[in-house]
Amino acid sequence: MTITVSGLSASHSGRTILQETDVTIRPRERIGLVGASGSGKSTLGHALIDKLRAQGERSVAHVPQSPDEALDPLRSMAFHWREAERASGLAPDQARRQELFAALRIEGGDLRKRPWGWSRGMQQRFVIAMALIGTPDLLVMDEPTSALDPVVAASTMSLLENYLSDRQTALLLITHDLGLAACRMDRLMVMQTGRIVEDAPTQKVLSAPKTDAARSLCLHRSWLELPC
Amino acid sequence: MIKLVASLVLRASVVLTGTALATFALLWNAPGDPALAIALARYNAVVPVEVIDQVRAEAGLDGGFWSAFSGWITPLILGDLGQSSVTGRDVWPELVTAMSYTFPLALAGLLVGIAISVPLALLATQRPGGWLDRCAVALASIGAAIPAYWLGLLLILLFAVQLGWLPAMGARTPAHMLLPALTLGLGVAASLTRILRSGILEARGQHFLPAFRRRGVAASDISRHHVAPHVAVPVVTVFGLELAFLLEGAVMVEVIFSRPGLGSFLVSAIEARDFPKVQAVVILSAVLFVTINLLIDLLYRALDPRIGERDA
Amino acid sequence: MLSVDNISVRRGATVTLHDVSFGLAAGRTLAVVGESGAGKSTLIGAILGLVPCSSGQVTWDKTPVARCRPALVMQEPRSAFNPRLSLYHSAMEPLVAQRTVPDPERLNMLCQGLEIPPNLLSRRPTEVSIGQAQRVGILRALIAAPPLVLFDEPLSALDAVTQKYTARLIAELQHEAGFAALIVTHDLGYAAAFADEIAVLRAGRVEEYAASRAFVEAPRTDYGRTLRDAAFALGALERVA
Repeated sequence: MTITVSGLSASHSGRTILQETDVTIRPRERIGLVGASGSGKSTLGHALIDKLRAQGERSVAHVPQSPDEALDPLRSMAFHWREAERASGLAPDQARRQELFAALRIEGGDLRKRPWGWSRGMQQRFVIAMALIGTPDLLVMDEPTSALDPVVAASTMSLLENYLSDRQTALLLITHDLGLAACRMDRLMVMQTGRIVEDAPTQKVLSAPKTDAARSLCLHRSWLELPC
Repeated sequence: MIKLVASLVLRASVVLTGTALATFALLWNAPGDPALAIALARYNAVVPVEVIDQVRAEAGLDGGFWSAFSGWITPLILGDLGQSSVTGRDVWPELVTAMSYTFPLALAGLLVGIAISVPLALLATQRPGGWLDRCAVALASIGAAIPAYWLGLLLILLFAVQLGWLPAMGARTPAHMLLPALTLGLGVAASLTRILRSGILEARGQHFLPAFRRRGVAASDISRHHVAPHVAVPVVTVFGLELAFLLEGAVMVEVIFSRPGLGSFLVSAIEARDFPKVQAVVILSAVLFVTINLLIDLLYRALDPRIGERDA
Repeated sequence: MLSVDNISVRRGATVTLHDVSFGLAAGRTLAVVGESGAGKSTLIGAILGLVPCSSGQVTWDKTPVARCRPALVMQEPRSAFNPRLSLYHSAMEPLVAQRTVPDPERLNMLCQGLEIPPNLLSRRPTEVSIGQAQRVGILRALIAAPPLVLFDEPLSALDAVTQKYTARLIAELQHEAGFAALIVTHDLGYAAAFADEIAVLRAGRVEEYAASRAFVEAPRTDYGRTLRDAAFALGALERVA
């Protein structure tokens, strides 16, 4: 289902941090929302989810930057899972859980433990698995790699993409790192001072950036280019 | 778990031994001859030297500090508090009588405190910074600043002298309990309100709660499952301290309202240098402090298992 | 030059560093890469003498390292400053510790090199951006002209564009001042682009040690390849035909 939201905006103590923005996301799209820190990327992600939820749309999910921002340290993983199922309006289903855990390779995690009994990489995958419980139309991920070691981050992204490959879920990846978005996303939205200044297919942005923000990101895309 | 309980019990026994030794040393070294004080209290008249020496021997004071200490502590370990040096009667029944006045008072004070602070804190945190919240904070600050003896006298003036609604002195009827319990409870309410309020506000501001809202978890479930348990930890801390100080407060309130109880028991025992009686009160309060602390320690670990992890 | 000879660090029964050796000459840059828990922070502690080594030794020109007064740039720039003091006050702390006064010429050179505008130093840590705060952190490290500077994840709090900009400033200053730089980072891209050599730390051991370019082009160990492939998968390194 195509998601259309119009008139997103946000302000904080009188200062506008997100200008009026419209967003359209088609099924299966892989969108990178990129920009410098403070450009309003995360705010847009939050506003998008909050507005969709307020409109009664349940089939959207959000994965915050760090698992600390997604899990209650006093509650067991099993508790989190049950609660997420209930929040998606689903009955408990052992098979579904096993499928998601297998897809994200966290079958070995002890559900009786609390979050801090798991490694950070496992916690992050658990949060992603929770977000996928109802097979949402849209999954918003906020800097999914920055709290993790590169090896763990790369394999988490691959596992997620594999899982989503035969599903309709669209992915919105929020990141400051154009390198990450460029090698994994089909469409880029470039943000600067609270507005989307460029919205185009990835190849088009990379080959012909139109704005200063996009040019700066393209110029500092990766650390090194290697001939191989 | 067994290891944990064992280490807590070990810590408790160290505290108890230390307390017993310290109070005994303080009383032993207090100015004046203890045997003389006991003799004066016993006979209520000037006594000859031989009688004093006899009292000294009876009370076990003639063998020096360590022999006196061990003479008192050995039966204590077996559960015997000994006999009063003045009257020669067993200390335990008298102590039980005193406690039967003090503990209900402390409990009533606690109930009054909870009955005031819980609704007040819940109302105040409905709208942080609103007028209700500010009033609650102001009341709590004033309540914490007013000493119990002054508040007690004010309450006596108002309810007993001016209005004549309630009795002020003694402990003959349940109505005699009302003013002392109110005095005690207002102080408890002040500190409980403050800690409840800040605990609730802090727990509501936790950085992981927005993710639960975005996950679609109902607001009522969030407050029940993810806010309330986090409020419990700081509240239990203060609650434990409060229980311990409640006893101290109760003793003071008893003196103001001329109630029988541990307060008068202790004061008369100190004046007479009645070692076994003083020690009994001190040991009783030490046991209470240690037990409360032990329970709170265990409760902490149940509420937030990370606390146990960090120790390990 | 810095020489780390066979150091091991034990904490209780666990070995956090095992027989680590390398040398680092003035003007050169060594990047230590590895995952969380590999022992990177312990290595910094051991070099600075904050963590006692159970065996081996760390020297600078055959004398104890502390004598050369090495500097440290930390990961979280804002929390590395006293929030109540101005940035100038904090940045001059190394000089206060050595009982000397700021050399205006050096301060000027560093501020220009780090592109710190003149009025920035009068502000407090919370009144500047994270990128600016980290540049002042580097200024503080370099103000007393140390021959050895340790960088502990210096860029991980910054965004991608600011990272590259800051990395370039550090490299240019190193070219001018000639200090030896030891950079601890989990970002292989940064290491490959700016370090001369790379040491891969895994579970307290140096798994692979190589010239940085040679390492990313052809890692010799399986683990080295895993790290390199993760950098490709996250776009830190890019393949071109």
